[in-house]
Amino acid sequence: MTAARTGRWRRLAVRLVQYAAWFLPGAQSPWGDAMRRELDYITGDPAALRWALGCVLASCKARWTDRSWFSTRLAWRYAATSGVLTLLIGVALQENASGQTGPLRPQFDETACDVPNVSPDIQPRLHCGTVSVPRNYDNPAAGRFKLAVVIAKSEQQPALPEPVVYINGGPGSPLTIYAGYQARNPYAEGRDLILVDQRGIGRSEPGLCPDLGSKLLEADLAVAQSPSEAARSSRRAVYLACRDEAIDHGLDLRDFGTTVTVEDFEWVRRALGIARWNVYGESYGTTVAMTLVARHPDTVRAAVLDSLYPPDPIFRRSSKVAEARDAFFASCGRDDACAAAFPNLAGIYRETLDRLGPHPLTVAVPPSMHRPDDQVLLTASLFEVLVGRLIYYPTAYPSLPRLIAAVHDGDTKGLAAIFASELMQARELNRAAEVAVECRDRPGYRHPPAEGANPPDQVDSYGICDDWSELGPAPVIPIDTAVPILVLAGQFDPVAGPSLSREVTGRMGGNARWIEFPLIGHNVRHFSPCGAKIAADFIDNPPQALDTSCADRVAPIHFLTRQQTP
Amino acid sequence: MPRRPNISRQTRALLAALLDRYQVWRHGYELSKETGLRSGTLYPLLMRLNEQGLLESRWQESERPGLPPRHVYRLTASGQALAQEQEAAASATGRAGALA
Repeated sequence: MTAARTGRWRRLAVRLVQYAAWFLPGAQSPWGDAMRRELDYITGDPAALRWALGCVLASCKARWTDRSWFSTRLAWRYAATSGVLTLLIGVALQENASGQTGPLRPQFDETACDVPNVSPDIQPRLHCGTVSVPRNYDNPAAGRFKLAVVIAKSEQQPALPEPVVYINGGPGSPLTIYAGYQARNPYAEGRDLILVDQRGIGRSEPGLCPDLGSKLLEADLAVAQSPSEAARSSRRAVYLACRDEAIDHGLDLRDFGTTVTVEDFEWVRRALGIARWNVYGESYGTTVAMTLVARHPDTVRAAVLDSLYPPDPIFRRSSKVAEARDAFFASCGRDDACAAAFPNLAGIYRETLDRLGPHPLTVAVPPSMHRPDDQVLLTASLFEVLVGRLIYYPTAYPSLPRLIAAVHDGDTKGLAAIFASELMQARELNRAAEVAVECRDRPGYRHPPAEGANPPDQVDSYGICDDWSELGPAPVIPIDTAVPILVLAGQFDPVAGPSLSREVTGRMGGNARWIEFPLIGHNVRHFSPCGAKIAADFIDNPPQALDTSCADRVAPIHFLTRQQTP
Repeated sequence: MPRRPNISRQTRALLAALLDRYQVWRHGYELSKETGLRSGTLYPLLMRLNEQGLLESRWQESERPGLPPRHVYRLTASGQALAQEQEAAASATGRAGALA
């Protein structure tokens, strides 16, 4: 039996059991669920089909038992007729249901663009649509997801032959809603730009607990404030409720992870008729991009990896955050104004944590956070988490020493805006998609944080994954790849600092180049026009020698002292 | 009103299988394989035994992450009594309790 044929029988079995469940009298509906779910545990397709047919018969029996006025003879006829009819309906739907006919093929279905915040000059350049991808590439009968895809045509037409596909981070961040911004800031001149919402994210199917981020706000805050076992258990319960909801909606949580996402991108490439493309991965997008280069090297002309997020094994998040934080504190010490205003910033920071331990402070927060009395208790661990977050953003650097010093002196006014910003980001990120991908990818998340682990680890996904889904195929680094690679690394990147980033680049071989950008954190291109220019030059002509001198001419951070305002 | 147990050959086989490990929650496919009963026969029996208070059921989390909970079954005290009674009767007449 061929794989395609095997898949068809499985799909027929699923449909038959669905009909069987539907056909049961209302009071018996839990039995319908029982039949449907049992099917998930039957591995062979012939056995699954036999099981499904039996379930149809069982439903018919239950239905006629429910109708006591039927004679036994009539009831058997009714059951047999219903069974045959149900089978025929199932087969008919199997063959003719919209979009379900035959094997799925890569195809772009163009739709009207409903992207927000697009200016009139950009609008004509956007082509929006969907590409249906298999849920499970090894089992085409498992169904499909529609992915949202936007093509931003280059201003220059005809465009150069190999477009750029931008793979954004998270995992869990939406992308296509920002098509207007993306089209205005191209990654390379003269090339079309491809944007895809990864499965389960943004406007792509499936909807995966879209409100989990809001539900986790309270739980995350509780863990960040006081990472007790009780707080972690409550947070874990929120995740597990989402897992149950997803499964109840018929999702298989094994249908997520970087490997399947890579196949989605490959499917989209084929749907768009692109022979080769340039890949720009950022943050988690570098995980996808590296795996894409490793698995489909012939389809990638060149790849930019902006702010690496390497596959496991990596050190615990807290160690990378501490490394970046210490580097930032050291840079303050080397700056005359910063060193004068905040002598021994690292010491001030440690003292602040020591003070907050026994004496947490109160922070006034925006009403949108729905906190009692619009206040949050700033504990030492919460402050550590917040400072770790601020290290990501160069825009936070000028005021960060002053903020630490202010909290040290009991002044928390500067934190309100930070909480508001974190809230906005928390609401945008699809946390279910995040954990769905990370739990498939990263063995490191299988284990709970160690006793006494640092706060950045406490609020990460450690300890969630064992109950979420099985570990899947790991993302990979393209060792000694022939594809030209450019790695951009921020000096204060708290995800993969320069040393780790450089080490990973070395493993990719002689075609991979690495550039460090001083005074930058995570997401180089977003904060460094120099980084954007170097990346564009590289994509324009990957083998060329790159002029990277602008990276060393970066303006110093203009640190704000205690009296200054931004 | 619940009907009285219909002690068919298939019912006896199912009762015997459930009695064999009466403390263990069993799932449908496992019972099907053990008794040789197809799902079209098994589920009506399970539903009927449940309706008659001889069988209890519940949802059980999968041991494999990512898979849905399963419906599992075991005999109630009345069910065990009936199953033992049937087994005794079968022994008395020299017949196997399980479906051949």
